[in-house]
Amino acid sequence: MRNSARYQWIYAWMLLSPAMIFLITFTHYPAVQTVVSSFFSTARGRRKSIFIGWDNYTTLMADEVFWKVLVNNFWYAVWTIPLSIILSLAMALWVNEKLRGRGFLRMAYFTPTVLPLIAVANIWLFFYTPGFGLIDQIRGLLSYPEQNWMGSPDTALYSMIAVAIWKEAGFFMIFYLAALQTIPPSLREAAAIEGAGKFYYFRRVAFPLLMPTTLFVSVNAVINSFRLVDHIFVMTEGGPNNASSLLLFYIYEVAFDYWDTAYAATLTVIMLTILTTVAIGQFFFLDKKVHYK
Amino acid sequence: MSGGSVSLKGVTKSWGVNTALNNVSLDVPAGQFTALLGPSGCGKSTALRIVSGLDDPTSGQVFIDGEDVTDAAPAARDIAMVFQSYALFPHLSVAENIVFGLRVRGLSRNERDQKLASAAELLGLRRLLDRKPSQLSGGQQQRVALGRAIVADKSIFLMDEPLSNLDAKLRAEMREEIRDLQRRLGVTMLYVTHDQVEAVTMADQVVLMNHGQIEQMASPRVMYEAPATLFAAKFIGTPPMVTFSIKLLASALTSEFLQKCQNFTFGIRPEALVPDDNGAIAGQVAHIEYLGADTMVECKVGEETLLCRVSGKTRLASGMEIRLALNANDLHVFETASGRREDTMLKEIEMALSSQTAGSVSAFQTQTQR
Ligand SMILES: Nc1ncnc2c1ncn2[C@@H]1O[C@H](COP(=O)(O)OP(=O)(O)OP(=O)(O)O)[C@@H](O)[C@H]1O
Ligand SMILES: [Mg+2]
Repeated sequence: MRNSARYQWIYAWMLLSPAMIFLITFTHYPAVQTVVSSFFSTARGRRKSIFIGWDNYTTLMADEVFWKVLVNNFWYAVWTIPLSIILSLAMALWVNEKLRGRGFLRMAYFTPTVLPLIAVANIWLFFYTPGFGLIDQIRGLLSYPEQNWMGSPDTALYSMIAVAIWKEAGFFMIFYLAALQTIPPSLREAAAIEGAGKFYYFRRVAFPLLMPTTLFVSVNAVINSFRLVDHIFVMTEGGPNNASSLLLFYIYEVAFDYWDTAYAATLTVIMLTILTTVAIGQFFFLDKKVHYK
Repeated sequence: MSGGSVSLKGVTKSWGVNTALNNVSLDVPAGQFTALLGPSGCGKSTALRIVSGLDDPTSGQVFIDGEDVTDAAPAARDIAMVFQSYALFPHLSVAENIVFGLRVRGLSRNERDQKLASAAELLGLRRLLDRKPSQLSGGQQQRVALGRAIVADKSIFLMDEPLSNLDAKLRAEMREEIRDLQRRLGVTMLYVTHDQVEAVTMADQVVLMNHGQIEQMASPRVMYEAPATLFAAKFIGTPPMVTFSIKLLASALTSEFLQKCQNFTFGIRPEALVPDDNGAIAGQVAHIEYLGADTMVECKVGEETLLCRVSGKTRLASGMEIRLALNANDLHVFETASGRREDTMLKEIEMALSSQTAGSVSAFQTQTQR
């Protein structure tokens, strides 16, 4: 009996080990290494990397650019997360109705998701071009002046936010659409017989039943608000004067433009801490309100 | 609460080329229990949904209490509905499910609690009020769905096969409960089922449908004793009526009369067919089905197969020769082509059978005298 239990235990480890090895070498080890690096100086030429304790973190506290990108990232998250979720839900509800050309609409809304963000950025580059761009042409018709959307510090960040929402909403819509289709039509009919209008039905029935999807989508939206920076490379490169720079973009700059890997590691640790805290908080906060079937 | 009447006038419903209801007119009397019966796909649910307003008829009108409600919203029709799937809101507790409609209509907390309490009492749901639907058995879920209908204070109840998900024992119990409830509340009930036993045991009036049309609208007794069509004859009764051609009775009839009966189909209930040594019909026992109190005997007579119900104590066994007697007025006659009942033909055949030569007549007479 005891023997067979031990065999099972060995067996389990043997089955787990291939996955474990990959996970440790490519995820856990680099993560730990990042934390370790943040306490060392960056090796430059002859100078070796040495242990410097909290020095990198002290530098970070005094780094104006860091604070700038953090605030930028805050606003980026504050706008993209709710707007992309609300927009995706609205589109899903709209597309889920029995209306003509429903298939076409679904595809149209989903297209931004299929396109790589770089391609999306190129399309929006055309929208934003001062004078010739789509937006300015329309404004021109209404005799508004030209506007340099990506070039002015006031609008650069918001231009990036618009692109991200456009890209994300279609993706989230698919999840909402799938969830909506699992709600039996008889629930809507039962509500209709009781005299519930569309909005009442949405508030008391559909929305609560979509909560698991909302949780999933919102965690993804939070992660994306730190992760989706590809379009910044193509469109503004963080400019003007870091007005549209985000944390991950700044990390890239520090690591691969300035080659200050230790400081980049420090920034990464900060980002991971923020992400983990928010994600865990979300689960605890929302999980109570979620009805799982 | 007291019932309101429902009627459909010339209602047709089609989806493209597919016609679910074809010119259906029916009346559901106020305060009565009407069962909508028919095989799968005959349009029962469609008819119910048109009454409820969840679907609109392609043509025709819907009346509730004599008022044309064809274009009225479901909530404006004074109806409560119990769905086949119960349609309980999975995220709401039993109590919240029951008072859902009361909240929609903005009733005060006091009124809601009062109605909830009396419905819960009536349905024996008091201890389950805080549970979620997923924590209930099928029968309990069904009662919650009933509760939602009861607190709505509507005068017409529509139910779409509410018992089809339950096991046989629970179904029998719930049948009685629903019937009882309808009587106590005095509401009008329109109850969809494909189970003829359910329809016959519960309803004051049965509406039998087939292929989107009404075959017969009558009380269960009339429907059993005088089915209006061949379809009705074969749908009602366990086991259903057996049909045969006139050749079976050839020995008892003249050849001119046989000629006259060519285009008709005859039927007889299994309990009206009796083994009798002097019987006019001679055949062979093909199969015996023992049911306890009764035994069903399947007999081969020429090319026809007859079914007869005898006592469970019978000594008949398959392969045995058997003679069967019948009473002429237990016969049913239908025109083969249209399937319609032909009572004039029935009269003639009764006359013909009773005026026959002594030998064969005896069989019929013994029956008549019995
Ligand atoms: N939305 C729809 N679109 C097209 N055809 C439909 C639709 N709903 C029902 N039908 C057709 O209408 C006919 C009647 O359907 P209905 O649901 O009324 O049958 P039913 O008598 O309730 O059957 P069951 O006992 O199986 O529930 C069927 O042939 C069905 O295929
Ligand atoms: Mg049905």
